[in-house]
Amino acid sequence: MERQSKPAAMEVEPASKPKFRIPVDSDNQATEFWIFSFARPHMSAFHLSWFSFFCCFVSTFAAPPLLPLIRDTLGLTAKDIGNAGIASVSGAVFARLAMGTACDLAGPRLASAAIILLTTPAVYCSAIINTPTSFLLVRFFTGFSLASFVSTQFWMSSMFSPPKVGLANGVAGGWGNLGGGAVQLLMPLVFAAVKKMGSTPFTAWRIAFFIPGVMQTFSAIAVLAFGQDMPDGNYRKLHKTGDMHKDSFANVLRHAVSNYRAWILALTYGYCFGVELAVDNIVAQYFYDRFDVNLHTAGLIAASFGMANIVSRPGGGLMSDWLSNHFGMRGRLWGLWVVQTIGGVLCVVLGVVDYSFAASVAVMMLFSFFVQAACGLTFGIVPFVSRRSLGLISGMTGGGGNVGAVLTQVIFFRGSKYKTETGIVYMGLMIIACTLPLTLIYFPQWGGMFTGPKPGATAEEYYSLEWTEQERDKGYNASAARFAENSVREGGPKSASGSQSRHTVPVDGSPADV
Amino acid sequence: MARQAMVMALLVVVLAAGCCAPAGAAAYLSKLPVTLEVTASPTSGEVLHGGEDEITVTWSLNATAGDDKEYKKVKVSLCYAPVSQKEREWRKTHDDLKKDKTCQFKVTEQAYAGAGNVTYRVALDIPTATYYVRAYALDASGTQVAYGQTATNYSFNVVSITGVTTSIKVAAGVFSAFSIASLAFFFFIEKRKKNN
Repeated sequence: MERQSKPAAMEVEPASKPKFRIPVDSDNQATEFWIFSFARPHMSAFHLSWFSFFCCFVSTFAAPPLLPLIRDTLGLTAKDIGNAGIASVSGAVFARLAMGTACDLAGPRLASAAIILLTTPAVYCSAIINTPTSFLLVRFFTGFSLASFVSTQFWMSSMFSPPKVGLANGVAGGWGNLGGGAVQLLMPLVFAAVKKMGSTPFTAWRIAFFIPGVMQTFSAIAVLAFGQDMPDGNYRKLHKTGDMHKDSFANVLRHAVSNYRAWILALTYGYCFGVELAVDNIVAQYFYDRFDVNLHTAGLIAASFGMANIVSRPGGGLMSDWLSNHFGMRGRLWGLWVVQTIGGVLCVVLGVVDYSFAASVAVMMLFSFFVQAACGLTFGIVPFVSRRSLGLISGMTGGGGNVGAVLTQVIFFRGSKYKTETGIVYMGLMIIACTLPLTLIYFPQWGGMFTGPKPGATAEEYYSLEWTEQERDKGYNASAARFAENSVREGGPKSASGSQSRHTVPVDGSPADV
Repeated sequence: MARQAMVMALLVVVLAAGCCAPAGAAAYLSKLPVTLEVTASPTSGEVLHGGEDEITVTWSLNATAGDDKEYKKVKVSLCYAPVSQKEREWRKTHDDLKKDKTCQFKVTEQAYAGAGNVTYRVALDIPTATYYVRAYALDASGTQVAYGQTATNYSFNVVSITGVTTSIKVAAGVFSAFSIASLAFFFFIEKRKKNN
């Protein structure tokens, strides 16, 4: 490797350590988040992951804006449409779990590209379907691609240091979710363009589906060609050099399912993200029916709901990091509980407000901000629950989100048992109730919502308990130990002041070739 | 603070909301007199193909109707039969004709001349469903003032195109194969590097 003369007298390890343009900590995780940069490998991983996830969201929700045409072409009934909507989010429940494990074992680059490319045939085949059953099937299989959410969170949690992990996760997740909103504008435009070029309506919508498909294919190829799993390299290389121990599925599984915090977060995520997905599927119809707006306006409103993600989810992540700075992990927990509960209250208000269309839209926008911020806040906490099973736990939480979406749609928005507005009120009440379990989360080293930390408990101890004595001797938990050092600030302001600066390893300040 | 700004915006929107109540004469189907006689050429239950087959609709003023001074225009539409409306809220019948979704496809709208007929080729965007025909008499402002429709148990079926062309099928196949092949290619490269 080339030698560069360092201006300051900060000399550390020998020059075999890779140099990064972006400042990093002792685990080579980035300590800053340069949103408009493509610096490899951290920021390029960010852009590759959020964009490929965005494309998956576009594909999964490409059908709803075109439903007025699809339902006439295929002769769908309301039940067919409802079932397909449920199918579109239920596939991802298990796909997310599988993805979490795949990330732990094979790395986010291969895992995400694999699921994304394997689901593209479902998107292309959406163009040639002809029956209600085939419609349900393509939506079901396309929905599997939403598992790539887990890989974005895992990838960001691997690339970014604890003080920035909330923000990185929030922006990656939020800008990906944006796809669900952007598509409500994109598909009608593509459809109109294709029709203008001479196609009949029943052909035009089919051609329109090629846009999401092609986007998805090429974004996944970019991930494979330009992505890198960890700051130090890809899993394959790290496993070979012995820098990283190749873990077993059984161990990863055991440490995920035995961690009660993972289950609680899976439940609460079902009532922020799950609710968001359910609303994505029903909001256009709701405004169309209750306020008699035309389909175009209803689509625009549905789009705005999803587009709020551009700031709301990152805002949640940022808030989580900010709260951690001032109050440690306890701040992150309180922030999530407060924001998600307010989201639930606003949901109830949305179902009740019917005297004015504009007021309803305003309440819906507020509701979207809070519910999406809660998603961002959740993934400010997930990276700290476990290091050994980070992928699977991210997958459980993500899967829990989809379970929430399925349950909510099945209980409240299927058939004619409840009017849509009543369903929305009950959904809000359920959000409030299912957010309460957050009060039970407790980290011995950092505390919980109502109790302080156990004196003497450390993060190192918490994470090292995931490995046996022999495994620790062999150094398998090395990366987790470094993570523990870097997450000292989660203990709150008192513990942070006693620690060293964030840059525990001085970095080469001059731009380096990476 | 951002939150205060949001509350302000919300208040402004709510206050400005009081303005838009849609005005205009509302016509209700149950209140309209049935003064037109309408017949359509397909036999009851006949199957027509979109883009190919034609129907001829004939209408005339009912003998017992009274005066038709008000009728300026006649609008003939294809309407969904109840069997095609079942479980489909977007085709539901509403008494308020502004909200009514039964008759979504216009066959013709022309000046009223007592009696008339029109020959119509079934358009390519008429969905596969069961239909009957209704004719509205419109006054000068375009509001419905009377109507007539084909006999009670009469309906005919339209079978539309699927919209799937050969090129779409080929494209779907090619793109799918390309995606899987790319994945296989990169995995192959990974394996090669691993074994090196």
